[in-house]
Amino acid sequence: MSDVILSAESVTLEYQSRTGFLKQFTHKAIDDVSFQIGRGEVFGILGRNGSGKSSLLKLLAGTLTPDSGQVVCEPSVTRSLLALGLGFNNNLSGRDNALISCMLNGYTQKEAIPLVQQIGEFSELGQFFDQPVKTYSSGMRSRLGFASAVLAKVDILLIDETLSVGDNAFKQKAENALLKKISGDQTVIFVSHSIQQINKLCSRCLWLEKGKTITVGPTKEVMAKYLDTEQEQVKI
Amino acid sequence: MTFFQYFPLIHLMARMKLKSKANALVLSYVWWILEPLLFVLMFYFVFKFLLHRGREDFLIFLIIGKIPFLWFSKSVTSAANALIENRGLINQRAIPKFVFPLVNINEAAYQQVVTFSVLMLYVIFSGYNDFGLWWQMIPLILLQYLLICGLGSCFTLFVTYLPDFRLIVQMFMMGMMFCSGIFWSIGDIADPHLQKMILLFNPMAVIIDGYRQVLMHGQVLNFLAFLPALAISLGLNFIGFGALKKFDGLLTRRVFM
Repeated sequence: MSDVILSAESVTLEYQSRTGFLKQFTHKAIDDVSFQIGRGEVFGILGRNGSGKSSLLKLLAGTLTPDSGQVVCEPSVTRSLLALGLGFNNNLSGRDNALISCMLNGYTQKEAIPLVQQIGEFSELGQFFDQPVKTYSSGMRSRLGFASAVLAKVDILLIDETLSVGDNAFKQKAENALLKKISGDQTVIFVSHSIQQINKLCSRCLWLEKGKTITVGPTKEVMAKYLDTEQEQVKI
Repeated sequence: MTFFQYFPLIHLMARMKLKSKANALVLSYVWWILEPLLFVLMFYFVFKFLLHRGREDFLIFLIIGKIPFLWFSKSVTSAANALIENRGLINQRAIPKFVFPLVNINEAAYQQVVTFSVLMLYVIFSGYNDFGLWWQMIPLILLQYLLICGLGSCFTLFVTYLPDFRLIVQMFMMGMMFCSGIFWSIGDIADPHLQKMILLFNPMAVIIDGYRQVLMHGQVLNFLAFLPALAISLGLNFIGFGALKKFDGLLTRRVFM
């Protein structure tokens, strides 16, 4: 790959939770996973529930650090993780939350103000944009989250199964906005258990099962293996 | 984002937190004045009327002690919980951990600007007006801010790593309240060795004593007496913020345990 923007090198992640006095439960969520993502690529992560997709996405976003191995990414590369329903202050208005979100993506306050206006329009919140987020329905929250993440310019956009939100009209609008970004030079890492979404959006993908890589490569090849296995399991 | 880009963000988040907290209460911004006032009146009632302690100028003496202490205790306690209350954002973005305690500390500091202004007005109306020496309040306030940042960052670290530490923070604040000369003066301690030890190892006691020297007694401060407090504050900042940077990954995991 000529221009690698992000790479995972033998990444392993373990979760430990306290179960009692001096007792801990350990679970290996990601086990020795390696791959590279090129600039402008749309990369999919495929797997069933509990396969470690979201944990891997957090490692790639830089919010979690691996127990061993490393995620290599230039410090100047901006990464934004779009996972719905998180990161909002419920007592602040949608406008204020959008402003904070833009500044976290590296915008100055002055640069962010026109973008915040666009976020308000895209998310179709109307007068609710200036009301506290705690008064929003779950659909409104997801629209605000999606608009804040998609309209800001970041080098890598990491998306965690979010296209299934909102009503049909907004879902279509969201998908179009995302496709528009993808057709440009946006690098996207996309996590889903939906085969259709991965097929439609991603050029390459990684199939993850119980935290381990089953296969990584062009979407068609990975998908063929994935579907074969699924059919075998259905037969059993 | 570069290191310096985080400071406008901290300023904005602190301002917005103030706004959101004020919006959540019916009396909104009035609480900025009302809360310290109620605390002072409660202490005044207990010490003056129930225990018959305190001197002629006990109310102003108490106000000058209690208001800065409230700033200290509220900021440090709020900073201690900063990472835990921001788990939503921490889950979504790689933000350096020093940002969160500083947002809470600045939020309390902005609120304090208003409270301190009212305190000054009260001091003027009470007939204490050695304005020529009031500039000495600036280094005192900066020293207190530095102390709050140092202790706040250390407590953020401890509380995030071990939530049980929250109970210790409460006890620590109670202990500090009794040892910082809020309702008594450092000069009242009979044992000169003990007096010296408190002034040496409790920065809040020296700072509060300093506020009283300037506002009530119109004295020129001996800045050398504040050097131990400055050294302790700088040391705490070094340990607290250094550890927040060093254990960034570990703290993220702890937030979700």
